[in-house]
Amino acid sequence: MTRFLTSEDVRRASGRVIEIEEGTIVTAQAQDTARDAGIVIKTRSGSYSEPAPSRGPDAGQAQRSLPHLPEPPAEGELASYTGVVITAAGRNRPGVLAEITAALANSKASVLDISQKVVEGYFHIVLMVELPPGSGFAQIKSTLECMGGPDDYVVRVMHERVFRFMHRV
Amino acid sequence: MPFTDREILETVRMIELETLDIRTITLGINLLDCADPDPESACEKIYTKIVQHGRNLQEVGRGISADYGIPIVNKRIATTPISYVAAASATDDLVPFARALDAAAKACGVDFIGGFTAYVHKGFTHADDALFRSIPRALKETQHVCSSVSLATTKAGINMSAIARFSDVILETARLTADQGGLGCAKLVCFCNAVEDNPFVAGAHIGTGEPETVVNVGVSGPGVVRAAIAKLGPEPDLLAVAETVKRTAFKITRMGELVGREAARRLGTTFGIVDISLAPTPAAGDSVSDILELIGVDRTGAPGTTAALALLTDAVKKGGAMASSSVGGLSGAFIPVSEDAGMIEAVRVGALSLAKLEAMTSVCSVGLDMVAVPGDTSAATLTGIIADEMAIGMVNAKTTAVRIIPVPGKGPGETVEWGGLLGTAIVQDPGKFSCGILHRRGGRIPAPIQSYKN
Repeated sequence: MTRFLTSEDVRRASGRVIEIEEGTIVTAQAQDTARDAGIVIKTRSGSYSEPAPSRGPDAGQAQRSLPHLPEPPAEGELASYTGVVITAAGRNRPGVLAEITAALANSKASVLDISQKVVEGYFHIVLMVELPPGSGFAQIKSTLECMGGPDDYVVRVMHERVFRFMHRV
Repeated sequence: MPFTDREILETVRMIELETLDIRTITLGINLLDCADPDPESACEKIYTKIVQHGRNLQEVGRGISADYGIPIVNKRIATTPISYVAAASATDDLVPFARALDAAAKACGVDFIGGFTAYVHKGFTHADDALFRSIPRALKETQHVCSSVSLATTKAGINMSAIARFSDVILETARLTADQGGLGCAKLVCFCNAVEDNPFVAGAHIGTGEPETVVNVGVSGPGVVRAAIAKLGPEPDLLAVAETVKRTAFKITRMGELVGREAARRLGTTFGIVDISLAPTPAAGDSVSDILELIGVDRTGAPGTTAALALLTDAVKKGGAMASSSVGGLSGAFIPVSEDAGMIEAVRVGALSLAKLEAMTSVCSVGLDMVAVPGDTSAATLTGIIADEMAIGMVNAKTTAVRIIPVPGKGPGETVEWGGLLGTAIVQDPGKFSCGILHRRGGRIPAPIQSYKN
């Protein structure tokens, strides 16, 4: 049950200090009313700050029961790695693959599988890559997706989980 | 990571070329603890609670979109029906509650918030009565609030008196928003067998059986199904078509499941359901109508359309149910006329009449959705249209809805532009015969017998 302190509560209060229980939410209007009237709102442990939202009694259980679909092994060496699928397409020229793999090497990513095709001057590359523990997915994604350009090639970086969910029962 | 190139390219193609996206992440928030004898205090609590829970919804949505590379089109909020929350306040004017919802939606950066809702399938409480009175002004004065009402269920029957009142609410809402082509009515829907975990507006709200907060996800993907059937070609038989739809629906639903779980994890809340509805948009190719035409009817609305839609809806459910154990909401195929370029075209060429549309709703997942009728349509005619739709839902134990817009100043065949996701509509002719006596009688149509099913 969420406890609230409303502006009406502030108006009814006697005295210059309102002490509220931990976890009480003070509405924005109540904060304004208190400020205008020079009333201080505090909790037993100090000044008021908005409590974290309470998502309800089911939330904890729900969090624990989430992963039961096609997930990688929860234990062992593989578990700490992040799988990433990289696709790139564009006009073919020397050095495209080298540029992409150099960026991967900089991020200490290891390439598990690679395939490339060139058709009528356009190339298409699919790379499956593992990121070592601690290396950021977001960072490698932004690095790679900024490479190339509209007249050159386009890179798309996706989490391996997308493919696992879509293609595995 | 044992994926073949074909699998990887298929996924990339779905997202890049076939407009696969997650239509909505909807955060449901229980507001029952915001009830207060003082209406102003109740509104303060409602605003504060919604903002506290929904503040980072946009950010979480954007984060998931960036990490997984799946577009998430909308982030929305659904709340407990306001008639329950406002009941403690004993006030006749619930417009301030709508304003509180609207302000909270704005603060959270969401485009729509659903929950200005009442359940009146058997009768009205004082608060339901106040909510009905407040709907037209609430929809005029707010931008983001959506309103829905439950007018019938299979267990309770159809509340005809409530339908008659609701027809007046629709006409009044259209009148108050006449300068926008009656746009207020696009945010107003009525249900038979309303679902309590629907993530899609305008009917989104959180029922009393739902947890404190919950994330529900609506997936889309008519473009993907369309492409799969187009690739299949016209030769294979209907079993092959059903199989193709099932396989495609499985993949789409899994994306919804992934996003829903991830959203719930990041928000620290409960993952509710994936609504596996094929939800069209006005964008080219993102059309349920196109799918029906690829299955094999010349134009949507031609003979065979209902059968094709029945196959489609059922196959989507079967594929989706295999992909997720948390299928809920409306789940099936939406046929919102103005939001689907193919449907608009079918109306324009005269293939799709209101009568055929009604027949199609007996096998689709929702009902008469985004249908424009002339501005001078009588309350009795609206009552008749709604009652027919409620009857289909009641007898078939399925959800049906009506979202109908009497466009002020427009007659049959004229076009109205709402823009954005709501699209373009051609005003349809409800016919010259009405049902005045049925409208006046009021009362209830009793619940149907659920045995002897023939």
